[in-house]
Amino acid sequence: MRVEFLGIPRERAGVAELELDVNTLGDLLVDLDRRFPAIGGLVEAGRMRRTFLASLNGDAFVSDLRTRLSARDCVLILSADAGG
Amino acid sequence: MAVRPSGYHGCYLRIDVTTGSVERVPLDERVLRQFIGGIGLGAWLLLEESRSGPGATDPAAPIAFVFSPLVGSPLTTSAKFAVVSRSPLTDRLNDSLASSGFAIAGKRCGCDAIVIVGRAAALSTLVIDDGRVRLESADDLRGATCADTEAAVKARLGPGFEVASIGPAGERGVRYATISHDGRHAGRGGSGTVLGGKNIKAIAVRGTARCEWAQPRELVEYSKSLSQKSFGPATAKYRELGTASNLLTFNRLGVLPTRNFQSGTFEAAPGISAEELRKTHTRTRASCVACTIGCEHIYASNEKNGVRLEYETLFALGPLCGVGDADAVLRAAKLCDDTGIDTISAGGTIAFAMECVERGLLDEPWLTFGSGDALLRAIRLIASREGIGDLLAEGSRRAAQRIGHDSIAFAPQVKGMEIPGYEPRALQTMALGFAVGGRGADHNRSGAYEVDFSEKVDRKNVTIDAVRYAIETEDKAALMDSLVVCKFLRGVFQDFHAEAAGMLRMVTGWDVTADELRETARRIVATKRQFNLLAGWTREEDTLPARFLQKALDGDAAAVLSRERLDALVSEYHRQRGW
Repeated sequence: MRVEFLGIPRERAGVAELELDVNTLGDLLVDLDRRFPAIGGLVEAGRMRRTFLASLNGDAFVSDLRTRLSARDCVLILSADAGG
Repeated sequence: MAVRPSGYHGCYLRIDVTTGSVERVPLDERVLRQFIGGIGLGAWLLLEESRSGPGATDPAAPIAFVFSPLVGSPLTTSAKFAVVSRSPLTDRLNDSLASSGFAIAGKRCGCDAIVIVGRAAALSTLVIDDGRVRLESADDLRGATCADTEAAVKARLGPGFEVASIGPAGERGVRYATISHDGRHAGRGGSGTVLGGKNIKAIAVRGTARCEWAQPRELVEYSKSLSQKSFGPATAKYRELGTASNLLTFNRLGVLPTRNFQSGTFEAAPGISAEELRKTHTRTRASCVACTIGCEHIYASNEKNGVRLEYETLFALGPLCGVGDADAVLRAAKLCDDTGIDTISAGGTIAFAMECVERGLLDEPWLTFGSGDALLRAIRLIASREGIGDLLAEGSRRAAQRIGHDSIAFAPQVKGMEIPGYEPRALQTMALGFAVGGRGADHNRSGAYEVDFSEKVDRKNVTIDAVRYAIETEDKAALMDSLVVCKFLRGVFQDFHAEAAGMLRMVTGWDVTADELRETARRIVATKRQFNLLAGWTREEDTLPARFLQKALDGDAAAVLSRERLDALVSEYHRQRGW
């Protein structure tokens, strides 16, 4: 599956996207926290940190760490505040 | 004499610039508690002063500069003021906010608001020096930019003054002219047009009056804690990239309005993104007075003093006009700032004209999507009201009415106010927020996009459930804009209403609760509606242009918003509001 970073997560990760092989959103976020500590922690106290959002394939936003991911999925990681 | 509550002076200045008369009008504590300050107190003042009778640029129409109990306190982001009047663009109530030293100096004049009526005999600067009021000639400033006007008035009057000014666009009656202070603008809805209609080029304020706080020690401690939290992850986006970072995110999600809302993606977005600009342009950061966030990102360009760039400006002058040349966008932003024009309405109206040219409805072959030169030329013409600029200075709704050929179907506006950078078909809670917005399409008075960017709704297929969320965001915005604190603090609060009640208690001494503030917010929204009803509002205004209700967004078949669905959402909104 593919991960795309946008906004602050991209700036801090230093990459725009990468391919990973994980089964759930929780596995993905834990893996990303390990690879990119500069992001500042996507998981906090067993939940997705509220300052970030995850979008599944650019459509639905998801935060349940048990959300199943398939090899064809793309998860976008972005800042939670969309204010302009 | 009534005892004034802490945090307030308990009165407003009413200045008639026709006669030169000045009146200090008492404000009842009950009114202050019911409307707080900022846009809330401003809506009440406008209703009291005019009952919506006079047209926006009628000399008798009032314009109110409104402070708040938090202004002058150590609370971060609290140096804000509201400008409230009837809008020359929408003909409905308009409230716009700006920040920085003018708020503090204005409140030190010993009043909670300054209401101006009448029309000066000649172009003037209104000087309020510790409560003493006079008019000075501003004839030598005719045609001067906002920044030059501010600098000249400050140099002339000496230390301690803070100045708000209009640019050439406000003098010439461009319907979406701004009032500028310290490089920031009370931007939307034509506040600068109203001030220009009163022959007031600038307002200079200086004072020494101070308000006491009910619980100063607690307030200072809480302020320190809030400031500390404002350095945290909830505001990282604003500090590190600025609001302009929305551009690539919105482009990826297909919600970036492009070429007059004909598409939700822009192929040249990466080249004008905040991420790219920081590589190609020297950037500095700045903040409003009394703010710890520092959201302003100022990019060096060929223009002097650099260019402050926000997402809304970037979207409106970039993708919306199909312009992918970063330097052209920066120059256009600077030109709008200098001439005192709202960038969203400028971009929206120019993009509309570009589509009219494309469809053969306007004979201005130079005005084409993607041309940075055309964008700059159009802004200059608007500011001077020359050539096609005279039509475009009226905004897209009036321009469409004159052009005809059903061009109103794709004029990007609600109630005459051009739509901000959120594609309504793919952000349908925001679509509702735009449709019912009291001052027209507005992302500042409705934060409904937050709902679309969450798990609460399916943003391309929202149901009636979305209505209560839209109302919640509108009410929350009304409260933040009345306290006033910056919306960029939103993510910092764990329980906003409880913390807002705490702030107000510490400043005023009132035993205010979170529930009382929820009721206050509803009252403020209802008061604005009351003004609009008197101004002629009808249910038919609460809608979107036909473009958004006729077909799916290009390239995204799922992004469909039928007229029936929007009507159902609007009806439910009215029902839940009790209207």
